[in-house]
Amino acid sequence: MSTPHSELDKHLAALFGALDTRSDFDARLMQRLRAESQTDATERAMRARQQELARHRRAVLELQSRRRLTLRLLALDALGVSVLLAVAVIAAWSRFGADVMDISCQYGPYIAIFLAALIAAVPLLGMWGERTRSPIRLP
Amino acid sequence: MELVRAERRDEAIVQLLPAYRRKVFGLAYSFLRDREAAEDVTQEVFIKLWRALPAFDGRASMSTWIYTIARNASVSALRARRPQSSLSDAEVMDAVESSNPAPSADVLVDRAAILRLVDQLPTKQRQVIMLFYMQEQSHEEVANMLAIPVGTVKTLLHRARARLSASAGKMSATA
Repeated sequence: MSTPHSELDKHLAALFGALDTRSDFDARLMQRLRAESQTDATERAMRARQQELARHRRAVLELQSRRRLTLRLLALDALGVSVLLAVAVIAAWSRFGADVMDISCQYGPYIAIFLAALIAAVPLLGMWGERTRSPIRLP
Repeated sequence: MELVRAERRDEAIVQLLPAYRRKVFGLAYSFLRDREAAEDVTQEVFIKLWRALPAFDGRASMSTWIYTIARNASVSALRARRPQSSLSDAEVMDAVESSNPAPSADVLVDRAAILRLVDQLPTKQRQVIMLFYMQEQSHEEVANMLAIPVGTVKTLLHRARARLSASAGKMSATA
């Protein structure tokens, strides 16, 4: 003999006991996960590329700034050397012998032009190198 | 957990799927009362799990974590959906019939009537009844799925059964 409760239990178990997803549920899910996985990989690759581009941009800016600083230092260095040279020549002028004075009077302008060109060439060469350098490009 | 640590998400999901698919589906179904919507939510839950697996730190148990995701997804789907369907929808009855092959006409009438009665139960009672009978689950499992104490599950189940018995009694008396 069955009680109303046990009858109810039977009906409820029959109603809900066998409810399940459709048979193709797992296949559909795995298909969606594969699609998600591909999207995920593409997004990760894009993010990595963007990060790499940003890092490259930062590195290029830093390099440019270092080059400018080096050029400025070289120019100041050349200026300092030329000033020191001028001071030394002026200080030693009276002690030079007559033959040195003759040579300096004869070749003085050439020597001065040569020294000035040598000193000025350093930053000029640096600037030329900076202009002709091709920028690094990411593939 | 080892697969999660090894970042082998696909394999982890393949292992979780047989253990939790029906439970997640049942939980979603108890909220939504719509087979199609419950399947969609179940798919969403497993995709969310797949995405979130690397962040799973094992502080809560895997089942608690999965049920939390399933509950939140079900509630979101429920909010997004208008109007609500009911358990006695023809589509649901078809699903029940297809899962229980060749019942007699009287039995089908009984089941349809019981479905309507279950549908009239308060939400929590209805959820407890459905989850309890879906897999003959333990009170503890139902409590874990709904995040309520075991005692509350027992009380809700008792009240729901009493209510269904009374309603069924009234129906058979009037028939």
